[in-house]
Amino acid sequence: MQRSCCYLAVGLTVLVAGCGKGPQSEFSLREETTDLIPDAQKVVKATLKEKFGTPHELVAWQRFPVNYGGVKGTVTEVAAEGKGVVVEWEGDAAGVTHGAPLIWASGARSAEKTSVGSVDKYDAAKKELTWTGGSDPAPAVGDKLVIGFGTALQTGRAVYMKNCMHCHGVSGDGNGPTAQYLNPLPRDYRSGLFKFTSTLGPEKPTRDDLSRIIKYGVPGTYMPSFLWLGDKETESVIEYIRWLAIRGEFESRVDNDLAGDFSQKTIETAAAKAKASYDAAKGKDKPEKPQSAAAAKNAAKDKFAEYLKSDVPELIDSSAKFLAEAWAHSEDAESLIVPSVARVTDDAASRERGRRLYLSDKGKCYTCHGMQGRGDGVATEDFWKKPGSEEYYPKRGLHDAWGKPLQPRNLTLGQYRGGRRPVDVFRRIYAGIKGTPMPGFGRTALKDEEIWDVVNFVMSLQYEQTPTKAKAAEHVVHAK
Amino acid sequence: MGRFWAVFFVASAVIAVAVSWFSPDFHWWFPGDGKAYSTLGRRIDDLFHLILVIVSITFIGTQAALGYVLWRGATMKPEDKVLFSHGSHSLEVIWTIVPAGILLFIALYQMDVWAQYRMKSSSPAKTEAVAEVTARQFEWRIRYPARGKKLQPTPQPDDVYTVNELHVPTGRPVSISLRTDDVQHSFFVPELRVKQDAVPGLVIPVWFDVLERRTGNKAYELVCAELCGWGHYKMKARVFAESDEEFEQWREKIAGEQFDDGFKKAAE
Repeated sequence: MQRSCCYLAVGLTVLVAGCGKGPQSEFSLREETTDLIPDAQKVVKATLKEKFGTPHELVAWQRFPVNYGGVKGTVTEVAAEGKGVVVEWEGDAAGVTHGAPLIWASGARSAEKTSVGSVDKYDAAKKELTWTGGSDPAPAVGDKLVIGFGTALQTGRAVYMKNCMHCHGVSGDGNGPTAQYLNPLPRDYRSGLFKFTSTLGPEKPTRDDLSRIIKYGVPGTYMPSFLWLGDKETESVIEYIRWLAIRGEFESRVDNDLAGDFSQKTIETAAAKAKASYDAAKGKDKPEKPQSAAAAKNAAKDKFAEYLKSDVPELIDSSAKFLAEAWAHSEDAESLIVPSVARVTDDAASRERGRRLYLSDKGKCYTCHGMQGRGDGVATEDFWKKPGSEEYYPKRGLHDAWGKPLQPRNLTLGQYRGGRRPVDVFRRIYAGIKGTPMPGFGRTALKDEEIWDVVNFVMSLQYEQTPTKAKAAEHVVHAK
Repeated sequence: MGRFWAVFFVASAVIAVAVSWFSPDFHWWFPGDGKAYSTLGRRIDDLFHLILVIVSITFIGTQAALGYVLWRGATMKPEDKVLFSHGSHSLEVIWTIVPAGILLFIALYQMDVWAQYRMKSSSPAKTEAVAEVTARQFEWRIRYPARGKKLQPTPQPDDVYTVNELHVPTGRPVSISLRTDDVQHSFFVPELRVKQDAVPGLVIPVWFDVLERRTGNKAYELVCAELCGWGHYKMKARVFAESDEEFEQWREKIAGEQFDDGFKKAAE
């Protein structure tokens, strides 16, 4: 009896321990950040924590065009001696209940000390609201307030953690627990690069682009369709992904600026190089003994202390400004690629024109996608240099912006990663695919009509067994 | 102590029967609202209920016998003579032949339903092939023929595609061609009682009908019923049963979106 009780106790303990909380999830740092000298690293970490928080305590930095959620309202009447207000809400006011967090966005109460509070009482019939946190200073008519600010970001986080995190990682670095089993690898959002967008070359994706990817998946990859998520969940997770991408790119921009002077690796390489040249010339011209790596790091530390005061606030501000503008601009109508002409009728003549463009020096599609569109062009046999360096990739073939090997698409499969609408294929050719060697042809090499011809040709490849042969005969007839 | 066990086993059986009896009220019974929405589904439910009646009678009978034997044993006086029944030839013949007979009956009785579902000769003569459903880790990709055309085994330029949304007309037998792109999956619509494995290399026709259009929640859940990998739980889709008119309208709409060249938007 005693023994079985003992077993039972041990079993229960193990069971309960298994139910315990796992390790807390953290936003990981970029390699470039951990390569900075300790002082600079500390500043980057502190800035990220202050501006974006942790996965458990998100901070919604209001500078960015992210819809953080909440109900916005405007004061239309001040009642009860400045202790209550009547509010006109934009949208559904269901979330306005006792205890809901309240932010005064404009007016006398939006000063730092009084801007945050919570709802005390709300009379839905009269739209009258009282709040906690004193009535001095009193709000005025026209003041703006937000109830439940950040709820969309929180919902987005919950959806992301449940459905996306295990591939895309907590910080959106594409390095979640299942990522190691996948090919192609999950997207790393932190560079702000998204492949399949409807926007022009340098632009960010639109909300609609992200929504299409989430709803319909990416065939040919491990990204499945999440059509069964509710509308609210999809919208929230899009905002969360945009926020993660902004966070990642913010870190990257700050790192890029600091790396010039404060990267440990650069300092060490420079010191080693100086020492080598000193050793080689030893005793000849009596050159000055170069700084050791440790001394150089100390010098960098002093330099950073100065830089922190003079330039870092400006750096943070300009990075945020750049990102805020970039993500807001992508939603503008002028960023969207809209064909200037309707699709050219998809007939044999158009496909033939497309085929010639495909094989021409203007398009040069065949160099990567192959003569027959099977994704086996000569470019896949070459060794390519890493961008901005003399070093070659160890593997043959093309590579993407994330440094991973990349196959040009086999166009005969009828598999359209970025969508199978003609306009999707048009946009791929017009603006290229971001983060890949696929260039954009719109406005430069090809006219819109010509792009449509190429679209018609490419979309017909799935249904034609030997496109080049069959069309070649036609070509001869035309030439006569 | 003996009386305790007699009461314990009888009470357990009583509780089990009571819970089963009331479980439909708590939605612990069939999936969805408890009804089968296809012809075959209703016949399958009938089979289920038949078997349920047989096992219920058997369960109650054996539990009552067990309770009786335990109670008699516990209340016996020490001087009473025990009845020793081990090795009763006729008893063993009875409990071998009766269950064998029941099993044989079930095996023969269900053949008709099985044949209707699986055998070409017994399934409805006219089924409309509505779509090709391709399972893939971890989603359902669906291909419909264009309006007025028949579903072809290979993709056609005017085919219409959806993901995780299967639309079918209501009230008549339809069939899908079930395939898989990678590993084994299983096409399972619990409320229609349709379940069929998707096997790599095979195209398996699966027929079913949806008897009525539900008002309110029109969608039936479609899930994968074969553990297919780490994202198995994500393989969730919906089956929409619609009137012929609605189905055609929907197909037109999807086709319109699919062949969108993005040009009209500029003119607006």
